Amino acid sequence: MNRSIKIGIIAATNILLVTAFIFFFLFDPDTHSLFPKCPFLLATGFECPGCGSQRAIHHLLHLNIMGALKQNTFMVLALPYIFLGIYLEYLGGKRRFPRLEKIFFGRWSAVVVLSVIVAFWIGRNLF
Amino acid sequence: MNRYFYIDAEGKQKGTFSPDELRQEIVKPETLVWTQGMEQWKRADEVAELSFLFSGSAVAHETEQSVEVLQSQSNRPATPYGSHPPQPMPKTWLVESILVTILPFILCSSFLSLLGIIGIVYASQVESFFNRGDYAASAEASRSAAKWIKIALWIAIGWVLLIVITIILLFVFVGSVAGIGELLNT
Repeated sequence: MNRSIKIGIIAATNILLVTAFIFFFLFDPDTHSLFPKCPFLLATGFECPGCGSQRAIHHLLHLNIMGALKQNTFMVLALPYIFLGIYLEYLGGKRRFPRLEKIFFGRWSAVVVLSVIVAFWIGRNLF
Repeated sequence: MNRYFYIDAEGKQKGTFSPDELRQEIVKPETLVWTQGMEQWKRADEVAELSFLFSGSAVAHETEQSVEVLQSQSNRPATPYGSHPPQPMPKTWLVESILVTILPFILCSSFLSLLGIIGIVYASQVESFFNRGDYAASAEASRSAAKWIKIALWIAIGWVLLIVITIILLFVFVGSVAGIGELLNT
């Protein structure tokens, strides 16, 4: 890929991310209707595994970790894992810690992640 | 004397070199090398013929300079795998697949996770095919995984644009009706 295009994409992504974070910081998804609604929740009345993650991000940006955990435990706990993945794949972590990738992003970890998502999905609608 | 390929620090395949010529190249003990007759790429320090590169004494090999004529003079060696020489494992896309499965939940686009799961299935095939020695199938699975992740990525970009446009429209609409100030207070 062309170098300038690559830089452009990275810049656009960063601008979008920063805007999104400012947005999530300023507005509480609980009281504003600006935020996208979960199609699964609208259609079935059950919460999907991601429901509440926008509220959780709002709370996290206000350093309210307990509030964030209450909104969506799974997503808050998954955040470090997501950052680890991005670091390993795109920021050179793969070469420095090849074993970390084998453990956390091997074939079995994919199965574990899927099982956790499904378990959380069922669990949050039962209790 | 065998002629060797090796994988350089940037992951590119280089070759061929005789063991003596390898001394001029940047070959470390953990560099992967391959020559005819080997089933898999191996670390250079695990190949007996190359051990002199790391022991410091290179005298023993200087005498036998009978350079073998290769069957194929091209850049690729003749291999037991036909047209597919053993390669380093193709990119598995497993990290991306897992991220594509988790991340959409944040933006209420859980339907994208299905594409992530398809990606995971192909991504795990890459490794198992590769371990079985089926390099063509492994590369094919890698391409499929990449394809689904790219599809998911484009849908995600479209989805984000849709959200952004909706928010802007809402701002303009509500702003013109009630004034931005009131929106901020609700």
